[in-house]
Amino acid sequence: MPPSVEEAARALREIDAIKARAAGFQDYRAESDQLLLWGAAHAIGFALSGLFPAFILLIWLLLVPGSMLIGRLLARRAASEIPGIGWRYLVLIGTIFTYMVLVHVVMWPLTPEQGSMVAPLFVSALYVMRGVQMRPRYLFIGLLLAALLMIGFLFFQPIFWWWMAVGYGGSFIVFGFWLRRL
Amino acid sequence: MQTPNEIIHQPIRLKIMAALNTLAAGQWLEFVSLKSIVDTTDGNLGAHLNTLEGAQYVLIKKDFAGKKPRTRVCLSAKGREAFAGYIAALHAILALETLEPDVSGSHATNTPPDNNR
Repeated sequence: MPPSVEEAARALREIDAIKARAAGFQDYRAESDQLLLWGAAHAIGFALSGLFPAFILLIWLLLVPGSMLIGRLLARRAASEIPGIGWRYLVLIGTIFTYMVLVHVVMWPLTPEQGSMVAPLFVSALYVMRGVQMRPRYLFIGLLLAALLMIGFLFFQPIFWWWMAVGYGGSFIVFGFWLRRL
Repeated sequence: MQTPNEIIHQPIRLKIMAALNTLAAGQWLEFVSLKSIVDTTDGNLGAHLNTLEGAQYVLIKKDFAGKKPRTRVCLSAKGREAFAGYIAALHAILALETLEPDVSGSHATNTPPDNNR
């Protein structure tokens, strides 16, 4: 016996709900790759900044483009679902990078500690915005990152670089694994 | 009236097919991920996957990721086609309903719209 109109409508609603859930799952999986990559990059970058403060600029000038290239390769795995993901990714990271440079120009002089807060706080804000509009886990990630950043900057200046390596880079890695668990 | 595919027209199997249909052709989804999306137990998911595999709607691959056993699932071309047909059948049922004359509410169409609301 064919299903009733109500059953058919319910089945179609069910399909839409599963599509949304699967899309969220895929989005979290793709994001988790990026969080693991950038978490490792920041953990290394901040640790090296603490060890070799005279070479901070050089450290980040090598780390950021290298991570961008790897990140772009990871992002392109979703190319079938999101057309143009490769250049969108570069624009996104380029925007964060440009924002950081411009804030330095406007606010100069900044201490290395102040300068190192600019991009992470911007990224935290982006996650909050994405979380509010799209997926709740991003909201949590953004809020927690911002809280960790401010706690480190305000209360842990003597161990600031290590705090950033573990608190910011490490959190990215933990969040990356968390997003893999739906 | 069209009858939707009886194999797919079961709540869990419908969810499985809908989830796998979101993937690109030839893309595999891990059993644990599918379980999270469908929100069911291992045993239940396994049983329904066997039914779908029997109908050749899904392909199941078992291998190892390192030393860890891994089961992955993929929608076959036949499965994708059957799912498209299933959705078309559901839409046909809804379309048929909208085409049928609404006898009880027919007088309402002669009532001028109340623009003051």
